[in-house]
Order: sequence, then structure tokens, then C-alpha cells
Amino acid sequence: MPSTRPRVSRPGDRDDLGRARFRAGVRFGIGIAAVGVALAPPVARLVASWGLRSAVEGTSMRPTLEPGDWLLVDSRGFAERRPRVADLVAVPDPTEPSRWLVKRVVDVDADGRLELRGDNPAESTDSRTFGTVDAAAVIGRPWARYWPPHRIGRVR
Amino acid sequence: MLRERIAAVARPRHTVHAHCDIPCGIYDPHGAEIGARTVARMVELINQNLGDDPNQRNQFVRCVAVKEQHAELVKHEVRVIWGDYFKPEHVEKYPQLHDLVWRIMKQAGKCRQTVDAQAAADLQALVKEFADIFWETKGGRPQA
Repeated sequence: MPSTRPRVSRPGDRDDLGRARFRAGVRFGIGIAAVGVALAPPVARLVASWGLRSAVEGTSMRPTLEPGDWLLVDSRGFAERRPRVADLVAVPDPTEPSRWLVKRVVDVDADGRLELRGDNPAESTDSRTFGTVDAAAVIGRPWARYWPPHRIGRVR
Repeated sequence: MLRERIAAVARPRHTVHAHCDIPCGIYDPHGAEIGARTVARMVELINQNLGDDPNQRNQFVRCVAVKEQHAELVKHEVRVIWGDYFKPEHVEKYPQLHDLVWRIMKQAGKCRQTVDAQAAADLQALVKEFADIFWETKGGRPQA
């Protein structure tokens, strides 16, 4: 370890050097921490989404989502705030709860129930058929597409 | 190899349905039922023995043509619902489904080959059975 070896030095310069290195070390530490702080939310979001990675089936969300798109669905997407108008949501199908739907919120009523609609309303079964959905039932928030490669990116 | 392993890891674990079903009218056995009724009606008209003048012969030929078309229409409509709508869990619940569809195909063929009123009635009955299963999976036939 070269740094522990006694170095050739003139009298008096040793403390300065030590101080400079200490400062450099502190700066480095702050830099790492800053990068960590900056990256923490996206990383946490990725982790919270990985378990809910989902494939889109059906055409009711065209042109936003195409059948065969692979999405990240953030399971904590609505932990801090309730779903709002224009949010995408993943919810259990009220008529068949074992399967999940992806739809868009078009209205939130006074009781916090969501009116859902497909972006392609002509080919969508949504709140017009099954009524409003309890906001508490929402499974997560689809926020990114990771496949196909040419359409990787955020979805909203 | 590496590609496959990455794909295996990244493959989605869930399906989110951007779905659409009966309320927008994509699946409905009504077309098949109308087709079977039309076949039966054509058989009835053909058996009325219309006569020999050109107009009556024209009418006769038209009835046969419509019978042919509608028997094929029944097959088409039933195949679409069978192939696109029904899922494995439906077949589990209605194990007779595949055989029923096969019998409808055969029966529609028989209705093209003959002018047998009983064959046409049987086709209607089979199609009704198919439609009943469809509506049971939908939680009931909508009131007209």
C-alpha cells in the first residue's frame, strides 16, 4: 500500500497533505451519497415494479399500449397518493377478479371510486359496463414499457 | 443462449388485460342462431314445391343459395366464438364443448346436402345448446 509507506517530505508539508487528502475523501463520500440519493427513488421503483412486470393483452388501450407490450407496474405507485384523473391503473376485473385489467382513470367520485375507460373506447369493456372501481383495489401503476426495444420508455 | 436467459428472467409474470368483450358486440352467438333459423326457413320454402315457371324457379334457386350461405355462416360464427372466445377453463366446465362444435360443423354440412326439415331443426337445437353455454359463461343471456 503506497499510501502507508513513509513518504519523502519537507518539514511542515505533511499536515497540509493529510488535510487535502481528508478533504478529497469527504468530497468523494458526499459525491457517492448524492448519487445514491438521486438514484434511490428510481431503483426503489424498479424493485417495487419488478415483481409486477406484466404483458399487455387486448386492444382497448390503443394507441398508448399495444398487445404484447411488457410493462413495469409499480406496486407502490399509489402508496403516497390516490389515483387521479388521467392515471393509468392496474386493477382486478370486477367481473372476474382473478384477472387484471389495465385502464385509464377518467373520473374520481366523492367517495374515491374510480371511473375507468380504455384509451380505445370503441373496443373497451370498462366502467361503462362494470361501474366504478374502489381506489383501494388498485394493484399498481403501470409507468414504463421495457419491451419491445424500439418502444422502451415511460408510459403515461 | 445468453439472450434466452435474459429473456427468461425478464419475461412478464402477469397479464394485464386491455380487454373488450360482449358489450361492444365482438362475441355474440346471435349470428349463428339467425343463420340456423334461416336454414330451417329455406328448407321449408324449398319443400313447398314452388312450380315450374321461370319466376318460381328463380325463387327456388335463390332459396337454395341462401341455405348454402347461411349454413356456412353458422359454421363461421360458431368457429370464431369457439376458437377466439372460449378459454381452457370454459372447456373444463363444459367438457362437451369441442364435440358439440364438431357436431354443428357436421350438421351444417348435412343441411347443405339435403332439404331435410329434421336436419335443419337439429342444427337449430345444436346451435342453441352452443349459445346457451356461451351465455352461461357470461352470467346469463341478455334480455332482448
